Amino acid sequence: MSVTQSIASSPAGLSPAEPIRRYDAGFFDPDEQALIDTFLRDGHVIVPVENQACIERIRDHVAISAADALDLPRPNYPDAFLNRIHCQVDGKGLNPVRLAVIQALNGADWLRHTYYRLVRQTLATLVGNELAMQRRVNLSIQLPDDDSSLLSVHADSWDGDSPFEVVVWVPLVDCYRSKSMYLLPPAKQAEIEAEWQRFDGQDTEALFRAIEPHVTYLDVPFGTALVFSQNLMHGNRVNAEPETRWTMNCRFKAALSPYADKRLGEFFEPITLRPATRLGMAYKLPDSFDE
Amino acid sequence: MSERSGYRGYVASRDVRGQRWPQHVQNVVIRDYCAREKLPYLLSVAEYAMEGCYMNLSTVLDELPRIEGIAMFSLFMLPQRPERRQAVYERVLGAGASLHGALEGTGLTSAADIARIEDTFALEGITQRAAGF
Repeated sequence: MSVTQSIASSPAGLSPAEPIRRYDAGFFDPDEQALIDTFLRDGHVIVPVENQACIERIRDHVAISAADALDLPRPNYPDAFLNRIHCQVDGKGLNPVRLAVIQALNGADWLRHTYYRLVRQTLATLVGNELAMQRRVNLSIQLPDDDSSLLSVHADSWDGDSPFEVVVWVPLVDCYRSKSMYLLPPAKQAEIEAEWQRFDGQDTEALFRAIEPHVTYLDVPFGTALVFSQNLMHGNRVNAEPETRWTMNCRFKAALSPYADKRLGEFFEPITLRPATRLGMAYKLPDSFDE
Repeated sequence: MSERSGYRGYVASRDVRGQRWPQHVQNVVIRDYCAREKLPYLLSVAEYAMEGCYMNLSTVLDELPRIEGIAMFSLFMLPQRPERRQAVYERVLGAGASLHGALEGTGLTSAADIARIEDTFALEGITQRAAGF
């Protein structure tokens, strides 16, 4: 029985029309429970960002940084500028721009808490309210028809990430069809993993061909954020749309849940430790008495 | 035919010779090696964490017609089975490419290098057994 089934379905012998009441149902508000159910069923949620000014501040900072890197005037219309950056730079010239923008982004001392505020309530519901956040926010730029920035199919949990992490994926332009990323739903992931041995000796393209009919290219407009389980297979393909993709991603996890290769300090930092945890970490029992 | 350029980095998500190496450290080692050897570095791919899995290495081998070679963190990331390693050597040399182990600072640029790498693998196996690992 999968995690999703164990939480969302009726047990054997009961009609689906008569779901049992979960033992913890009273602890979540109905809208929280709905978000949890969607996340467990689909492996992701797409939610409106909780602070529009925050996403516009990040988007504008990226656009200005890109314009500076290209020695162009600062754009009046950042959305159009980012979508059409391929008119200013080709695939070969893109990497210095990418590096300059990443440096400008992660050099902004306001970036990480601003990013967190985009999805604070969603993370509280799906992950917890005492969080660790990836130290560097990643940026992905994909020009139309450029095959040099592709991420082949993978699950981050296969690459050294803890299965307790989620990815917060934030578009800086409207992302749709091949301009977006694809994700394999949990039910299909379970089927593929059940027959994993058949991929022995094959490459990642063979794996993609096996999952291709089942993946979903997610429509994620600017002003929304995608939160997904990076235990699910995902990646991107050549952007066949006439606009450039600009997206950011960053991992979050419960601060006290298990870590994998991406460890506390070097990859993650605690961001919202609560007073009880601070007191607990600092607490020492008084000295013992002699027996 | 398009121009071939660069050496694809290849990093591990599991132990290499019994040690865990953070991926960013692996990338530092690869970048340093490529800089010293004047090999244009291409962004690394990470092998999956499942034991015995070489799907990403296979994908990089498929890429050989478009790149000059592979810069792996360590030659000890090659498959444990000798026949699988031999197949990798043949793919690399057959494509006119080269394979480098950044940690060891050496690699496979011609068929003459195969025996040296294989001897190292064989000795590693014996010394690990002798040490009781």
